[in-house]
Amino acid sequence: MMVSLQAWIRFTGLSVLLLLVACSSQAPAPIEDREVTKRVRAPASKESAGVQVYSLQNPAVKQLAAQAEVAENTGDLDLATGYIERALRIQPQDPQLLQHMAELKLQKEDYQQALNFAVRSYDTGPRVGEICSRNWRTISVAREHLRDNSGANEAEARATRCMNTRPKGF
Amino acid sequence: MAKKAKTTVKKTPVKRTGSSKTRAKKTSVRKAGLIRRLFRLSMLLLGLVIGLGVPWVVWLDFQVRSEFDGRKWDLPSRVYSRPLSLYEGLAISRQSLLTELKVAGYRQSPDAGMPGSFSLQGNRFDIHRRAFTFDDGSEPATRFQLQLGNRSVTSLGGGIIAAEQGLVRLDPAEIASIYPLHDEDRTLVVLQEVPELLVTGLQAVEDRQFKHHHGVALRSIGRAMLANVKAGRTVQGGSTLTQQLVKNYFLSSDRTLIRKINEAIMAVLLERHYDKAQILEAYINEIFLGQQGKHSIHGFGRASEFYFAQPLTDLDTQQIALLIGMVRGASLYNPRRNPDRALLRRNTVLEIFGETGLLTDNEVEAAKSKPLGVTNKPPSGGSRYPAFVDMVRRQLRRDYHASDLSSEGLRIFTTLAPSEQEYAQQAVSGGLDELQQRGLPAELQAALVLVDVASGEVRALVGDRVAGRNYFNRALDARRQIGSVIKPLVYLLALEHVDDYNLITPVKDEPVSLRQPDGSAWSPANYDHKSHGEMPLLEALVHSYNQATVQVGLNIGVENLIRKVRQLGVNAPVPAVPSTLLGAVELTPIEVTQIYQSLAAGGYSVPLRSVTAVQTPQGELLNRYPLRLMPLEHREAVALINFAMTRVVEAGTARNLHALLGSDTLIAGKTGTTNERRDSWFVGYTRDRVAVSWVGRDDNKPARVTGSNAAMRIWASLFRQLPIFDIDLRMPDGANFVWVDMRQNALTDPSCAAAVQIPFIDGTEPELTTACLDKLERKNRKSLWRKWFEDDG
Repeated sequence: MMVSLQAWIRFTGLSVLLLLVACSSQAPAPIEDREVTKRVRAPASKESAGVQVYSLQNPAVKQLAAQAEVAENTGDLDLATGYIERALRIQPQDPQLLQHMAELKLQKEDYQQALNFAVRSYDTGPRVGEICSRNWRTISVAREHLRDNSGANEAEARATRCMNTRPKGF
Repeated sequence: MAKKAKTTVKKTPVKRTGSSKTRAKKTSVRKAGLIRRLFRLSMLLLGLVIGLGVPWVVWLDFQVRSEFDGRKWDLPSRVYSRPLSLYEGLAISRQSLLTELKVAGYRQSPDAGMPGSFSLQGNRFDIHRRAFTFDDGSEPATRFQLQLGNRSVTSLGGGIIAAEQGLVRLDPAEIASIYPLHDEDRTLVVLQEVPELLVTGLQAVEDRQFKHHHGVALRSIGRAMLANVKAGRTVQGGSTLTQQLVKNYFLSSDRTLIRKINEAIMAVLLERHYDKAQILEAYINEIFLGQQGKHSIHGFGRASEFYFAQPLTDLDTQQIALLIGMVRGASLYNPRRNPDRALLRRNTVLEIFGETGLLTDNEVEAAKSKPLGVTNKPPSGGSRYPAFVDMVRRQLRRDYHASDLSSEGLRIFTTLAPSEQEYAQQAVSGGLDELQQRGLPAELQAALVLVDVASGEVRALVGDRVAGRNYFNRALDARRQIGSVIKPLVYLLALEHVDDYNLITPVKDEPVSLRQPDGSAWSPANYDHKSHGEMPLLEALVHSYNQATVQVGLNIGVENLIRKVRQLGVNAPVPAVPSTLLGAVELTPIEVTQIYQSLAAGGYSVPLRSVTAVQTPQGELLNRYPLRLMPLEHREAVALINFAMTRVVEAGTARNLHALLGSDTLIAGKTGTTNERRDSWFVGYTRDRVAVSWVGRDDNKPARVTGSNAAMRIWASLFRQLPIFDIDLRMPDGANFVWVDMRQNALTDPSCAAAVQIPFIDGTEPELTTACLDKLERKNRKSLWRKWFEDDG
């Protein structure tokens, strides 16, 4: 079941890509149908009830992140990326911003950069809770697209441990 | 037509005209002869006019058109600094904010009424931002208030439009206008941006018939001739704006009649080919308005910067009047050299504005009461920051097609932070003067590179001790031995060999002798000419011991070191010889900065960049340089080296840094000195900024400099002005801090006197555990009561 679901998702991903190639002005998929929602955000949010660790963001960063979210929902990934870049200039080590960038890169199918930003977010982040889960799920999806299946599985397993491991230093 | 004209000339029988001078007795015959002669003479003249004049006009037409077309489209690219984002909590000093505003051409005024102005009461800024098209969209002009606390923004408010609440971007400073493919600077403007008063005023003063004439205004010429005859000398010129433009194209001191006729013909031709708006725009950009050394100041845009240090769009009535007045004689009415004459001329122009109805009487009087308002000194050179602009040019040529760069009027967004650049130049200029006073050679030169850690964006670049000079950009081009600045890489490689090294692995600092490829022996000594025996690896780096470094380096291999330098983004040749381990390798300051950016960012390498985006004048993005992360392998080892480099500042060769800075912020650093004290290097980074400074002589002679006596001082005087924050020593996944006794190379209890916290890569911690005598003694001294209630652990 799991395998066939993944295959189905990959198939839809490919069809979306083909559609995009065929007609570049095609509207993007609604946010709830995107891979990033189904395979990263939704499961991380579902698992993490009660385990939330957020860094402090200043109001300017919050505002830019909110603008990025709006742009992302309407499918303007370049604009969203621009907002997150501006926010990262203000708080370059903010794990949420880095993870948001990773998820944008995932949607832009720049899997190597998605992987890199997610790893950086994990390094600078709490290494526990929802954001940790999103870090590893992004890493997993990115590795899968980069044809590193064992790495993808390992990352998937790490994601589930985000909820029960107490990281050192906390 | 030209051929036909020639034949006419040939057929004209010149001799026969002479032969008709035979005596005729009858008056009627004489009259007929006269008419004939007059007719022939006029035919001759007509022939001459057609035969020589037509080709001449064709030639003039060709000349004036190619000149006009050649310049008309020559709008340069504008280079902008990074826009300053203002938000609550931003760390910025009052001085820095004032510098940012000043460089962006903001003027202090009592009411901040105009876009591009601000008022200041105590630490409360009222800023009227100009409308601006950023690389991601346009923002309208807006006015907001900003309160500064102790070196940070404490509140931001006022009439900011909704989309910008909490975060306002200042429109960036225009730091240069360049032709990316050539090396020449100008500030051209488009007619729509020119203040209306300049357009109308220029016509009122110089050419009231401009809208109606065809290049030449005969009435004006007549009037001027009359005035000149009356005065007995040239007091008035009857030239139209078009004629003046032509005159400027072919600037010559020659004042012959032929020249004047040529100019008039060309003016008429120009008017036939181009419309009035095109001609006026060309005029505004072309007219001669002053001289700066070898360079002429052409055009109102450049003149506005040159005399007022402001963009043309921000000029006040009286400033516009002064510039228009100077058209008549830029040298005669030079406001810096002849302020009295310039003031009289300006006021005459203001009166003309009044007479022609451009200003009311009250406005004229108000403007006349204002001072000239020119800056004391002209801005230096073509661009304020030539070393940085040089880097921008090189990166554009590297990353863009020549065909893209040749388009007119590109908008180039860069990473420069004007306030940080000003501090950096002051640190270099002032720092070298100070070293000279302390007895170091007068020939010392320096370079300084300041980069944002996470993004790799170059915030400041200094390549010469003299601000504005750039005949040799040392930051990019001075290839010098780097000395001990290479050592952290040697130890980084060692720490990557997790089976052999951790930070407390004992290493030996003892004499070593090696055979060089040329057969000679190489026996490096320490700086203090002593050998220090066995010590933990960390200490060997902290004190920069040469012999210990060579021992470690030989163990890991010079080839691996070269590979590491490549991985960190530097492609310069590195010799595969043992002396490379001690930095006998020549790199430029920018290359050293590239290496250390990767370390400062925790092992995330970013190519250093000075350009963030390039836009066409229509606002279309040609390219953006997106933020990309390139993680290095072994980031745990990088984190360990960052820790070790903070120890260099706390207890090693850079321990004077805190005193120089007047701050105990946690900073990572490394000094470098080369043989015979030819080069002084300092590399240092805080949480947000990494900077590299170099000091030495251009002729590479011994300069009596060391890393800490020269380069570190310059580094410190820059960072004294910047907001600085502790570097983040939190370990990444796979490394942790552990309590150890370094001398015993063993784990220990935190309460032991010798216990220190040192980071280790997981699995490389010492296996031995040691107890400590002092702890046992303390335990024994504890009260019986406490012993009962505490368990031994």
